[in-house]
Amino acid sequence: MPLKSNARHAKRFCGVANSGGRVVPVAIGNYIALSAVMFFIGVTGVLVRRNPLIMLMSIELMFNAANLLFIAFARAWLANVGHIFAFLVITVAAAEAAIGLAIVVTTFRSEPNVDVDEVRLMRG
Amino acid sequence: MSAVHHSLGVAGNYPMLVALWLLPLAGAVVCWAFGPRLKAFCGWLASAAIAASFVLAVLLWGAGTQHAGNALGANQPLFSWIAGTFDFGLLLDPLSLLWTFIITGVGFLIHFYSIGYMEGDRAYARFFAYMNFFVFAMLTLVLSDNFVGLLVGWGLVGLASYFLIGFWFERRTAVAAARKAFVLNVVGDVGIMFAVFALVAAIHSVSFGDAFAAAGSFGTPLLFGICIALFIGAAAKSAQVPLHTWLPDAMEGPTPVSALIHAATMVTAGVYLIARCAPLWNASADARMLAGTIGAITAIAGAILGCVQWDIKRILAYSTMSQIGYMIVGVGVGAYEGGVAHFFTHAFFKAQLFLASGLIIHALANEQDVRRMGGLRKKLPFAFWAILTGVLSICGIPGFSGFFSKDEVIYGALLHGHPWIYATCIVTAGLTAYYMFRLLFVTFLGEYRGNVDHPHAPGWVMNLPVAILIVPTVAIGAVLLYGGEHSPWSRYFAPQFAPAQLPAVPALTELQTSGIVLIVVLAGLAIAWVRYATRAAQAGAVERLRREAERTPAFLVNLFYFDTIIDLAFVRTSQLLGTLVARVLDPHLIDGAVRELAAITRSAGTLVRSLETGLLRAYALILAFGAACFIIYYALAAGGAH
Repeated sequence: MPLKSNARHAKRFCGVANSGGRVVPVAIGNYIALSAVMFFIGVTGVLVRRNPLIMLMSIELMFNAANLLFIAFARAWLANVGHIFAFLVITVAAAEAAIGLAIVVTTFRSEPNVDVDEVRLMRG
Repeated sequence: MSAVHHSLGVAGNYPMLVALWLLPLAGAVVCWAFGPRLKAFCGWLASAAIAASFVLAVLLWGAGTQHAGNALGANQPLFSWIAGTFDFGLLLDPLSLLWTFIITGVGFLIHFYSIGYMEGDRAYARFFAYMNFFVFAMLTLVLSDNFVGLLVGWGLVGLASYFLIGFWFERRTAVAAARKAFVLNVVGDVGIMFAVFALVAAIHSVSFGDAFAAAGSFGTPLLFGICIALFIGAAAKSAQVPLHTWLPDAMEGPTPVSALIHAATMVTAGVYLIARCAPLWNASADARMLAGTIGAITAIAGAILGCVQWDIKRILAYSTMSQIGYMIVGVGVGAYEGGVAHFFTHAFFKAQLFLASGLIIHALANEQDVRRMGGLRKKLPFAFWAILTGVLSICGIPGFSGFFSKDEVIYGALLHGHPWIYATCIVTAGLTAYYMFRLLFVTFLGEYRGNVDHPHAPGWVMNLPVAILIVPTVAIGAVLLYGGEHSPWSRYFAPQFAPAQLPAVPALTELQTSGIVLIVVLAGLAIAWVRYATRAAQAGAVERLRREAERTPAFLVNLFYFDTIIDLAFVRTSQLLGTLVARVLDPHLIDGAVRELAAITRSAGTLVRSLETGLLRAYALILAFGAACFIIYYALAAGGAH
């Protein structure tokens, strides 16, 4: 329901300024597409790369894909909840990065090369 | 729940009764706790506790014999465990009063005797603690006013008996005998337990009053079942065939123990039980037949085995078994007064026989084999006279106590319509005369065959109780039992036992029966005289006795193979069953099930383990795959919704 009632609003504000100073609305679908591409790149990065630092970066990419969606929809629906969630995700991402880096440092302190496939301590 | 409670006694407060019951327990606790400090004083203390109980029993005579309406005796309620089903209390009526007299009276004399007999024993205090504990347990048994209290006392006397048979636990045989006695007695305990179960199921009460009031309404199978269960208990405790084998072995205990527990009191608990449950036995002719038959078999079996024994205490043990057989015949066929009278006189003369044989054993440095005695009449004259009176009494020589009670039992069997039991009892009387005079002649006549140079006569502490016991052994029968229906005995028990309905007038009178018994007894005595007392028999007695021992038939040496049969039927089969379980059931069924379970768990673990690769990216892939599945599912669902 909010989507329909705010349709006009969304058209007015959900856009970027072009060279002429007029605001050209960008359709929400573009944001979703960009976010999906970012997310997919992140997933692919986690799955195919063996360097843990790159994998962490890929995870950050997935977080940011999610953030982009939050902000885009918040803008589209004029609801600030999305911003709040974006900040929450940034906080969580920072914590995750800290822990992830700590694991990487401790795990690879004794390892000569940096490869997650070499670390298989949890194999059953 | 039964609404009305039938009490056998006049309910009230009898503090003396409670004191009578608990004094021996107090004595036991004191001897147990402070024994090492009290030392020799223990014996006097323990004897004093029993003496005090005896005095209280005398003072309670009036309370025990009172009656008001249907209630007879004194009933002291103590506590209620399950309201309406199990109320514990003490009951003192003529029957339990009589038993209390014997337990505390004869018990006191035996305690007193033990002061001398056990002198110098390492565990002097422990002995008296056990003895006092036994008296307490026995009083619990006879004073309880319900079946559960009786069963508790029943178990506790078995425990006390176990302690005392195994008193000299350094001896292997004593320990084995104690264990055997305990196990066989537990068989009886279980029997009584089943009787209690049946009573609770049938009438929701375990009190004597309720059970006897309902006796008529039980119906034949239930009543007979209860009687059988009770009789199993009586047979185990009173050494009736086939549960008798523990009694001769129990002679491993000190002689005063044999006198008190395995002659005078505990082994007569079965007689008490049947006399107490007289209303049940009166209602069941089958139960009377069963008890009378088993009693007669025991009487004659014990007498036969008594003829081939050489250990003085074992001879007395078999004679005890045989005499209890008489008592069971008496109370079993319905001649309650006679059976109880035989218990009464037997308590005196058998305690005396045991204590007097204890004098000999003590004097001869623990020699118990009569073949190594002989000629003791001059060395131990007091023991000779004591044993002689005991023998005359047990054989039923007219005028002595045993005569009155035994004839009452034998004639009672005929009176209640059991001619075969009657005949068996008469034969047993002859055998009794034979083996008792054999004991007397072999021990006291001829030349001394042992190797103790100077037998020392025991001190006055041991002689005095024996001397006191001679009086009732000789005279109490004539005083209390003479006079048929008008005797003091009959008047005392008149309110206790309902008059029996006799089947028909028997063929013989009581006087004729006495005559027949006397002839048979004299025949037994004559055979014993010819074989052991004549001058010809005395010459070369050592050689003759050795030959006689060798010629004893195997089935008598092996005691009719009772031990062998019990061993085969129960011990071996139990062992076989145990082996079966240990070799087959346990390793294959129980262990097998556990092993199978372990194998299943392990293989399931192996299967699941293969998923745990330890590869971080594999986990991520699974995660991504799962997420993709969710997305596809919701996408399709959203598509379907339109």
